[in-house]
Amino acid sequence: MENIETKLREEAKRLLLEKKADVIIGYEKGTLPLTATPCFITTPEEADKLVWNNLCTQNLAKFVHDLITAHKNSQKRVKPEDRKKKVVGIVARGCTTRSLIIHLQERQYERDEVCIIGVPCDGYVDGKGLKVKIGGADIVEGTIDGGQIKMKTSDGDKTVALKDVLAECCLTCRFNNPIVSDVLIGSPSPAMNPDAEYNAVKEFEAKSMEERWAYFTKEMEKCMRCNACRQTCPSCYCPTCFVEQSQPQWVGIGEDKSDTQVFQLMRMYHMVGRCVDCGSCVSVCPMGVDLRKFLKKIDKDGWEMFGNRAGSSMEDMPPLGRYDEHHDKEEFIFNP
Amino acid sequence: MARRKFATLKSFLNYIGVEGDRTLFTWVSASEGDRWAQVIKVATEKIKALGPAKKMIKKIG
Ligand code: SF4
Ligand code: SF4
Ligand code: SF4
Repeated sequence: MENIETKLREEAKRLLLEKKADVIIGYEKGTLPLTATPCFITTPEEADKLVWNNLCTQNLAKFVHDLITAHKNSQKRVKPEDRKKKVVGIVARGCTTRSLIIHLQERQYERDEVCIIGVPCDGYVDGKGLKVKIGGADIVEGTIDGGQIKMKTSDGDKTVALKDVLAECCLTCRFNNPIVSDVLIGSPSPAMNPDAEYNAVKEFEAKSMEERWAYFTKEMEKCMRCNACRQTCPSCYCPTCFVEQSQPQWVGIGEDKSDTQVFQLMRMYHMVGRCVDCGSCVSVCPMGVDLRKFLKKIDKDGWEMFGNRAGSSMEDMPPLGRYDEHHDKEEFIFNP
Repeated sequence: MARRKFATLKSFLNYIGVEGDRTLFTWVSASEGDRWAQVIKVATEKIKALGPAKKMIKKIG
């Protein structure tokens, strides 16, 4: 990783110096031990802050959309001939590039407005899982080395194998290397275990209707409607989310169970052909709601019904924007 | 395409535990009066058999 970090910093510096990017979104060391946090770099000197390791959790594509949208809005009242173009650079692993592809396919910005610095990925640590693994102790200091996480904790020294605490989405990730990039750092990472990606969904499908409903209800009861999952999701970028619309009001904002269920149902359903299984929503959720159990079904349906994996190539357009007369199944149609 | 949305919505509702028979989709042309009657008849029977919906219901007041 050290080597990748060095190269990453060099490339970031070069891109900023050559004015190929106005800002680079990457990760820096977090303020808490064993964390990394998104950062925005605008001068070559700052590039030395950049890190790339198994603590880089969040899908940064969200910020690309935010920055470009804010920039476009700021240019609205500027005469067309005086408008400035802004290029946003981004440190992107597999799932991040998938989100960028979705943005491009959904015409959110042009390909030349983003400069993609591709990095190979071998997954990130699921912070909540790690905490459970060390019996809830507080981490005082930590390092990752040779597949081991070594920590000083409030409960003494602890060592955990990295592979035991990787996020679920990473363990079965199919696209851990960048799909598109302008600059590629390092060589591709070995594949994760994509053959197992739908195991949990299949297991859930095999349960009875009432068991499934009971689980959904139980998980949704944990949700406190903080909207963090929506805020972090690169595919959630509507200027006004249905959650906040008041005319009409699609879903109540209170504590009624059904409102929370409807909120979740709708947000997740809006992910058909758009969820890249980056796990950002899962990792930011303060209540540990098992969102992936449901989102992965949406991904599975997209693949089984339409042969599409969200953002897996520039050419494979979003599944809900098209229709295949010869292969689409008709069994969902009610034909008495 | 609308039909793809219907197919995925039905499948997702079923997955989270809402009975598949509560979400019915079909196409009926304005000229197919008999078929329209048939669709409504069978749909009503199915819904009656399931009984009142208890899931995702909000009680107001
Ligand atoms: S989902 Fe894949 S690309 Fe994304 S962080 Fe995990 S292993 Fe990396
Ligand atoms: S729904 Fe969650 S896993 Fe899917 S793209 Fe959004 S943040 Fe990533
Ligand atoms: S982040 Fe978790 S608690 Fe917050 S709204 Fe999303 S599911 Fe609910």
